[in-house]
Amino acid sequence: MSNDTQTQNEHNLPIVQRIVSVLWPSFLVASLATVLFFVVFDPQELGMLAGLPELTRTGGYTIGFFFFWIMGAMGCALTCYFRKPCPPRIRTDQTD
Amino acid sequence: MSTDKQPASANEAPVEEELYKKRQKIYPREVHGVFALLRNLAMVALLGLFYGLCWIQWDGHQAVLFDLPARKFYIFGWTFWPQDFFFLTLLLIISALSLFFFTALAGRLWCGYACPQTVWTEIFLWFERKIEGSRQQQIKLDQAPMNARKLGIKASKHAVWLTFSLWTGFTFVGYFTPIKELWDSLLAFSLGPWETFWVLFYGFATYGNAGWMREQVCIYMCPYARFQSAMFDKNTLIISYDEKRGEPRGSRRRGTRPEDKGDCIDCGLCVQVCPTGIDIREGLQYQCIGCAACIDVCDDVMEKMGYEKGLVKYTTENALNGKHVRLMRPRVILYSLLLLLLTAGLIYGIATRVPLEVNIIRDRNALFNTTNDGLVENVYTLKVINMDSEPRTFDVSVTGIEGMKLLGETEAIRVETGAVKDVLVRVHADPANLKTRSSEIEFHVEARDNPEAQTSENGRFLGPVLK
Repeated sequence: MSNDTQTQNEHNLPIVQRIVSVLWPSFLVASLATVLFFVVFDPQELGMLAGLPELTRTGGYTIGFFFFWIMGAMGCALTCYFRKPCPPRIRTDQTD
Repeated sequence: MSTDKQPASANEAPVEEELYKKRQKIYPREVHGVFALLRNLAMVALLGLFYGLCWIQWDGHQAVLFDLPARKFYIFGWTFWPQDFFFLTLLLIISALSLFFFTALAGRLWCGYACPQTVWTEIFLWFERKIEGSRQQQIKLDQAPMNARKLGIKASKHAVWLTFSLWTGFTFVGYFTPIKELWDSLLAFSLGPWETFWVLFYGFATYGNAGWMREQVCIYMCPYARFQSAMFDKNTLIISYDEKRGEPRGSRRRGTRPEDKGDCIDCGLCVQVCPTGIDIREGLQYQCIGCAACIDVCDDVMEKMGYEKGLVKYTTENALNGKHVRLMRPRVILYSLLLLLLTAGLIYGIATRVPLEVNIIRDRNALFNTTNDGLVENVYTLKVINMDSEPRTFDVSVTGIEGMKLLGETEAIRVETGAVKDVLVRVHADPANLKTRSSEIEFHVEARDNPEAQTSENGRFLGPVLK
């Protein structure tokens, strides 16, 4: 089946490419999320609430961006993980 | 231009392990011609804009500054606040639509001439050529064993690239933090940790993308490259090789025109100049960024051969098949109408923008109080945000219930530019005039010296109903 070969090929992807497919989409989404989030919330006020009064705005934006990036990367990584085919059935005597 | 017989697809370049597949390093040959000139002009204009605009001052502030630390955006005479985010959204939608519009009309114009990836790759290639020499010299250098000379050349190339990248990173941060202050702190070695980080981060991204990744970004990473074909139709301008005229291709002596051959002399130059390393003669490919380098170089060859230009040219699928080319198609009309509408909306919105915002917050402790005089009292906090570029003095009034009175700080409220001021007010009304438990009232806030800065905001007045 062509689908199988495709999955097979995907799993032969070089490791670097797998890392990029996790980090790159999450980077794009994190950039968007950072803009949308900080339009509404002022990082300095959030810092006050979180008990970090010395946090500068630039620092807040940076932390926010990397937070979104890590979160997005986790989502991408899980997607990649769940796309792996399940292990084959142990009992093979069953017919379709 | 020398037409050296270099088979384009020969394994002349060292294969390096790259991110996506075994990548053969591409050495785009320098090209001259009409489109190269256009591309260079676009490059100079866009890079000039990027590196220059942040140094221009306007009315005592940086002309274009997305001042993140202060949460306000300056664009020449305008000042925008996070509350104006709507305009930014609109601007982004307009930009996306323009991209669709131009793609439908003329294909990947954006990719070939204006995309930062293309523009920075172009300037990095220019540095590379200045330091390592022509395409042939670069290939030779890469094949040569490492020695002092090669090390020197490579080291100076990377030094130039890195310096330029760091300057790019610095400029980038300069659009978000005032660049003059940034420059002063750079000279004093007192750049803040976050600023330093972003200069390095963006600098590294420039160095990596324009120096190393290059066409791989377009082929594997760019979302637009993946979906741009959806905007294409048979009337879209594409770069195409005229197969009917060119085939069968083959080499020949200059000035001759063998009868058994087409016009393509198979010199391979179109492949050598291609920044993504494709052969345009194989038809339209998604790797083609539409830079038109192959057009320039092929026109040059055709001229030398004494043939007609345009073996590779901007054309459309319909034109290639001898059909009529329609400029105005439903999608082009739709895109232009939407563009016109949104642009008009944006201009109208900015022209009638009220540089004042008022939020009304009811006192949370009590729904209402009763005064000694038997009046019902509601307490509100008005958050007055002055979005003007100058400090303003505001007056507050209220309407909605007969005989109502406004007490508290209601006159001559001075709010600095970009500041938010909490104004505590009390509203008194005679319960006899209350028709429902919750009446709608309207607060009016007006600036004394700017008639544009006035707004009305609805609030709720709660009280008992006397029957």
